[in-house]
This record gives sequence, C-alpha cells and structure tokens, in this order.
Amino acid sequence: MRPALVFSLFLCLLLALDGALFVDGLNRRKAEDATLAQLEVATSGLGLTDLAVATEARYTRHPAVSDAVAPFMDHPGAIEHFPTGAFWLPPQR
Amino acid sequence: MAQTNFEKQINILDYALSSLWRHRMKSLSILLVFAAVIFLLASFQMVTQALSDKAKQVLAYTPEITLQKMSAGRQEAIPLAYKDKLAGIFGIRRVVPRIWGYYFDEVLLANYTVMGMDVEEMPEGSRLDTALASGKMPTPDEQGRVVIGHSVKKALDLEGRTTFSFFRPDLSLKTFTVSGEFSRSTDILTNDLIVMNLPDARDLYSIPAGKVTDLCVYVANPKEIDTIARKISEALPGVRVLTRPQIQKTYQVVFGWRSGFGSICLLSALAAFVILAWDKASGLSPEERREIAILKVLGWETSDILAVRFWESVIVSGLACMVGMTAAHIHVVYFAASLFRPVLMGWSVLRPDLHLLPRMEAGDILLILAFTVIPYLAATVIPAWRSATVPADSALGG
Repeated sequence: MRPALVFSLFLCLLLALDGALFVDGLNRRKAEDATLAQLEVATSGLGLTDLAVATEARYTRHPAVSDAVAPFMDHPGAIEHFPTGAFWLPPQR
Repeated sequence: MAQTNFEKQINILDYALSSLWRHRMKSLSILLVFAAVIFLLASFQMVTQALSDKAKQVLAYTPEITLQKMSAGRQEAIPLAYKDKLAGIFGIRRVVPRIWGYYFDEVLLANYTVMGMDVEEMPEGSRLDTALASGKMPTPDEQGRVVIGHSVKKALDLEGRTTFSFFRPDLSLKTFTVSGEFSRSTDILTNDLIVMNLPDARDLYSIPAGKVTDLCVYVANPKEIDTIARKISEALPGVRVLTRPQIQKTYQVVFGWRSGFGSICLLSALAAFVILAWDKASGLSPEERREIAILKVLGWETSDILAVRFWESVIVSGLACMVGMTAAHIHVVYFAASLFRPVLMGWSVLRPDLHLLPRMEAGDILLILAFTVIPYLAATVIPAWRSATVPADSALGG
C-alpha cells in the first residue's frame, strides 16, 4: 500500500473521531440549553453578579464587584497569594 | 497536465512520508512536543472561551445597577436611607436591599457565600423554586430557613439532617434549617451559596438595623442604565455604582492571555517554537545535505526538494495541530479541564462540577494555527531552500 494511502486512512480516522466529538458536542449543547432557563431564573431571582468558579478568595469569587486592589486589602503588607489569582485578570472599568 | 502534476505531488508526498518514517523517532518526538504545545494553547483558549460564553449568557440577567458604599477605599454597609434619596431619580423601577457576605468555615476551611434578601421583591423571585432540585425558597416570614448549593450540602455533610449552625461575630451560635437545595445544573452560579431572609443575614453578621451591604437597582428602560447610574453617582457621591454592562464586560476581559497563567502558556509555547526554529534554522545535518545532493544528482529540481520539505512540515504540523486540538477538546469537555483545575480553583474547598462546552470558531482555530503551524512551516522551508540551492558536487564533498 502506498504511504500516501496509509496516511490518508489515518487522517480519515482522525477526522471521524473529530466528527464524533462534534456530534456529541451538539447533543451536549442541546442539553445545556435546556438548563439555561434555570440559570436565568437563579441570576435574576437572586441578583447574582458572578460565576462560582473559584471560591478561595473574595476577588476571584466575585471579580465583577471587587476592586483591582482587593487582593492587597487583607491586611497591611498583604500580597496576592491565592493560586486562582494567576488565572484571572484584574477587572477593568 | 493537471493529472500529471497531481501524480507528481502524490509521489512527492509518498517520498516525504517515507522520509519521515525513516527518521521516525525524530519525527515522532517533534510531533509529540508540537502536539503538547498546541494542546496547552488550545486548552487554555477553550476553557476561557467556554467560561466567558457562560458568563455572557447568564449575566445578561444580573441587576441593572448595583450600589455599594465605599469608605477609605473599602466597601462598607450602605444605609437603607439611601433608598429614599434614589426616589427622586426618574426611571428607577425598584430598589432591593440585600445583605451579601462570606462565611469562612474554620473547620473545613471553606468559604460560603451568604445572601440575604426578600426574594419576592426580586424579578423572577417568585419563580426561584424552579431552580431548586428539592424543597422551596423560604417566605419572608419563615425565619432561620435557608436554601443551599450542592457543595455546601456536601461540605456540611447534610445528607441525613437539615439543620446546621454558624457563629455570629460574638461567637454565639445561630441555627439554620435547610428548606431547599439548588439544582445541580445551576452549580456554576449557586455552588457555594446559602440564601436566607434579610433579617437572618442581618442577625448572622450583626449588621445594625437600617443598613445592608448593597442595593440592587432596577430601571424601567435598560437604555437609560448609564444615565441613571450617572445621576445616582451625583446624588450619592460616596457610593460605587456598578452597571450590568460593566459586569458583563468584566467577564469578557477577565480571562485573557495577559493573566499570569495565560502568559505562562503562551510563553512556554513561544519558547518551544524558538528552540524548534533555532534547531531548524541552524542548518541541515550533513546526512540531510547528502540526501539532497543525491536527489539533485538524480535529476530532482530545487523546487521538488522544497516541495518534499514543505510536505514534511505540513504533515508534521498539521497532524500535531489536529492531535493537539482534539486532545484539548477531550481534556476540556470530558475531563472538565482537570489539568487546569489546580490553578483555576486553587485552594478552594468548594469546587463546582464544571461542565465546559467550548464553541471553537474559525477565528480561534486561525489564532492557534498562526501561533504554531505557520512559524513551523517558515522555520523548515527556509533552511531547506538554502541547502537545496547548494551545488550537488560540493554537498557530496566532491
């Protein structure tokens, strides 16, 4: 078998895997859209302002309503020491 | 003519594949390193994009204006009397007071978010029961009853009981009864939440009567948010005014390449490419020069040799791109970005189950291609051209 043909078959296999992931992604998207109504009710019913991703520090739990200097407000001489602080940019407004 | 050219390219592709196979250990190691770099970049792009997307979807329903009192650069309790000062501003539909704070559990080292408000005053407040997996929201006259998020239930080990106690600032205990639990599908918002009535929150934090932590302001016409926010700032100078567009904007910029972790991903990718490009640009090995010389002696033209090198680069970088991006998708969707979780959630004790669903667009794919495949193509074809233009006899040492 020609090397180009073997390579094409391998490429087709990879594309088939990507296609399967794409179809599964569409199904997951549908399931996620079904829960969107609950998220909307929770946000507006409680007046939420942030995603609950990192709960270790005030400023990463609620970056939208925190000051850019909040990481340094814990005590005099405090430095930003929480690991999640590395993932988030300070809010810009 | 086109048929002949196609056949020629297929033959060259065959030769390029055989050449890669001959140096399979070297080709495989380049492919794996390359795929790992693309995996890192694509995973970061997918995680941040999925989180920004989710924020954009759900934060469209956040209060139009949130007011917080600032003193000495810090947030402090806001007097309820400020509500009366807002009464004169035309366009404000409703002002809802709220007590909103954190409770640090010193035994579990967990941080809970506590919210106290009269939910019936909030928009959609009457429909909040639909966001619960079990139970119901406490009515304003039900004291000591709370609705909790999934991780709070797990952390407090509330499987077989419905009551728990928190310490007030004076270290006396306040007991709560769980009246409901938020649905798991709202975890991304409610995972660490404990929602209660305003008097209960006031009692827990010992906040004096007549004060709350913030005021949620709802306006009649969303187009007037900025105008009303400006009027509020003028009427209440010591108050921080946060508008819905500002909150939404925060989440569109908060995850970015300029964050510490994003920079590390980007810099490690760039460093890998600099090493790769330096290795390639420093010239071909004597063996490779010899191979090119033999091909030229056999009648190959410079353009054919360049085509071989081009195909080799396309195969290695294209395959690495596909493998890296597929692996990144699997990592983010099926393993909930488990490699990034130690940084994304840090020392958080309460961790939501992230169900991330990235929506890769052509622009995102192009960004990753631009950072990876294109520099690699450039780094490999240029030295090949330099070498291919060398006369065959000198390369063979003749």
